[in-house]
Amino acid sequence: MKILVVDDTEAVLLLISRFIEALGHKVVQARDGKEALELWRQHQPDLVLMDMMMPVMSGPEAAVAIKAEAGESWVPIVFVTGVGEENRLADAIERGADDYISKPVNFRVLEAKLKAFHRTLELNRKVREQSARLASYYDAAEEEKRVVRHLMDQMVNAERLYDPLLDYWLSPAESLSGDLIAAARTPGQVLYVLLADGIGHGLTAALNVLPLTQPFYSMAEKGYSLSDILVEMNNKVRQVLPVGRFVATVLIAIDEVTGCIEVWNGGMPTVHMLDRAGKVVHQWKSSHLPLGIVPTQDMETTTSRFFYSAPGTVLACSDGLTEARAPDGEAFSEQRLLQLLLQHPEGDRLVALQAALNAHLNGSPHHDDISMVMMRFGERMREDLPPAALQTAETQATMALVGSGESMWHYSLTLGAEELRYINTVPFMMSFVNEIKALRQFQSEVFLILSELFVNALDHGLLNMDSRLKRGEQGMDRYLLERGSRLAALTQGHIGIDLNGLRINGRDVLRIRIKDSGPGFDWPRFNLPNDDPARMHGRGLMLVRSMCASIQFTGSGNEVIVHYLPGLTAG
Amino acid sequence: MTPTVQIEGDAGRVILSGQFDFSAHREFRQVCESLIANTEIKEVLVDFQNVNYLDSSALGMLLLLKEKIGAASKTMALVNCRDTVKQVLEIACFGKIFTIR
Repeated sequence: MKILVVDDTEAVLLLISRFIEALGHKVVQARDGKEALELWRQHQPDLVLMDMMMPVMSGPEAAVAIKAEAGESWVPIVFVTGVGEENRLADAIERGADDYISKPVNFRVLEAKLKAFHRTLELNRKVREQSARLASYYDAAEEEKRVVRHLMDQMVNAERLYDPLLDYWLSPAESLSGDLIAAARTPGQVLYVLLADGIGHGLTAALNVLPLTQPFYSMAEKGYSLSDILVEMNNKVRQVLPVGRFVATVLIAIDEVTGCIEVWNGGMPTVHMLDRAGKVVHQWKSSHLPLGIVPTQDMETTTSRFFYSAPGTVLACSDGLTEARAPDGEAFSEQRLLQLLLQHPEGDRLVALQAALNAHLNGSPHHDDISMVMMRFGERMREDLPPAALQTAETQATMALVGSGESMWHYSLTLGAEELRYINTVPFMMSFVNEIKALRQFQSEVFLILSELFVNALDHGLLNMDSRLKRGEQGMDRYLLERGSRLAALTQGHIGIDLNGLRINGRDVLRIRIKDSGPGFDWPRFNLPNDDPARMHGRGLMLVRSMCASIQFTGSGNEVIVHYLPGLTAG
Repeated sequence: MTPTVQIEGDAGRVILSGQFDFSAHREFRQVCESLIANTEIKEVLVDFQNVNYLDSSALGMLLLLKEKIGAASKTMALVNCRDTVKQVLEIACFGKIFTIR
């Protein structure tokens, strides 16, 4: 220890100093309180051994000053007192001194006291170190949380969650949520919603769900199917998370054009479909393992479809909601949730649910993250397809010049049977279309046109599918099943797609030509103007016709050319 | 929660009780590792008879155990699941990768 010894009697000062030095300590000497204070500032000793009665500044005065300056760090001050100073001694101890030793000094006692102070100082130093370390852990943890929270906010961009058909609620158990809600529209305006729940809650859970956002947003925006996105998300989770970590996931797609709701539920509570009155009309129970458990090639990515005929709401939530426990341990439960939805009209449901949960928890916190989404559908049922594109004078003038326009760019792609089986052609081409400035704003229309024409060429041109299969309750499932097996067995044939950017009459025109190697169909009937819509080859082609300035089949009906004028139908 | 172990021939039974969640992490791992290290044991049974609740981190522990059991060429099964436990296992579709009896 470094010890400051203070005494105005030279002999005493020398005696004590020598003794302390003999014990192996370092000594700093002062001859009055004022000097003691100055030397204390200069040397920062571990302990002060001080006479009480001194000239200039007394011991107790110096002690008060030293204690005040030392602040949080503990500097023991021991007074060396003569008889008759008891009153002042008591006073000094009350004002902060730590101990005293009587004059004449008993060196055996002094040695013992120094040892005791040494032990206490060591302990004190350890506690201070530990609390400093704790404080820095705490700061580091807070900083990490701040960074992750920022990351989450960026990746789970709340703006993207704004969709007129979507209500959502997310309430983390800690400052970070292990539940994730994401929503995106495909180029064809299908609403994709992701609800995911990572193991536990807080930082590690948040880290578990983050890898899902990137494949979800980027693939949804390119128009990939739910199955494709699931494969990619499972790959990501397997890549980045250790064994034993997984993410329960629900993916939902609502396609208002076809009236189809597609769901994949891996380890999440049942997804419910409610009618306008709040009655359950369909449900999707968890039928898959959560993401990250099995290798992607062993994963079942088949979604379950439901075709609706009346408007309603799809409801999905995490188990944090149904399992939220009241102080008496009772869970909120799915029954209570469904009961509530039945009792409240659509617009009031979220508020009513929050109020009911608050009442249930009765002031106690919930222990797991709570998340919930409600998606309305069928509000503007597509009974009628949009009218055929307005043939304005400008359109007619432009179309009359087709063939004489200037070709600005050309993109051509031909796929054989092998490639058609695994390349998701239209999303693949969309990443090119999105780069063309004249088309970027209209990508959802281009996507719809390309998808319809491509599906037509593949389904009817190469696979020889009969649209009549789609009829009836299970029709669509039957059709898709059959299509899947025919596609898997496809060994011959090809489809060629040409995109041509033309400039005609100062206007951008997109020319799309799709040709398949199939036998074709009876096209002259289709090309007749004002054909009876009921006899049309399919709703898909009607849709294309309504968006394009022209649609024309040639050859045996295995080649179709459309001209699309960006911005013509204006939404 | 302190899991107890019963050895029945070549099967080791881990009996869990109360809430099976992250707080049981250390004890559960220790007990399981002792069974995995025991060459006499061919099958590990995780017994849920006294478990009234399990959460997702418990499911994670089961996955970890499955991985280790597989690496040691032993088999495992989840046994005596009560309704609440069964429900959680069903939602997670764990029946697809675990033997549940």
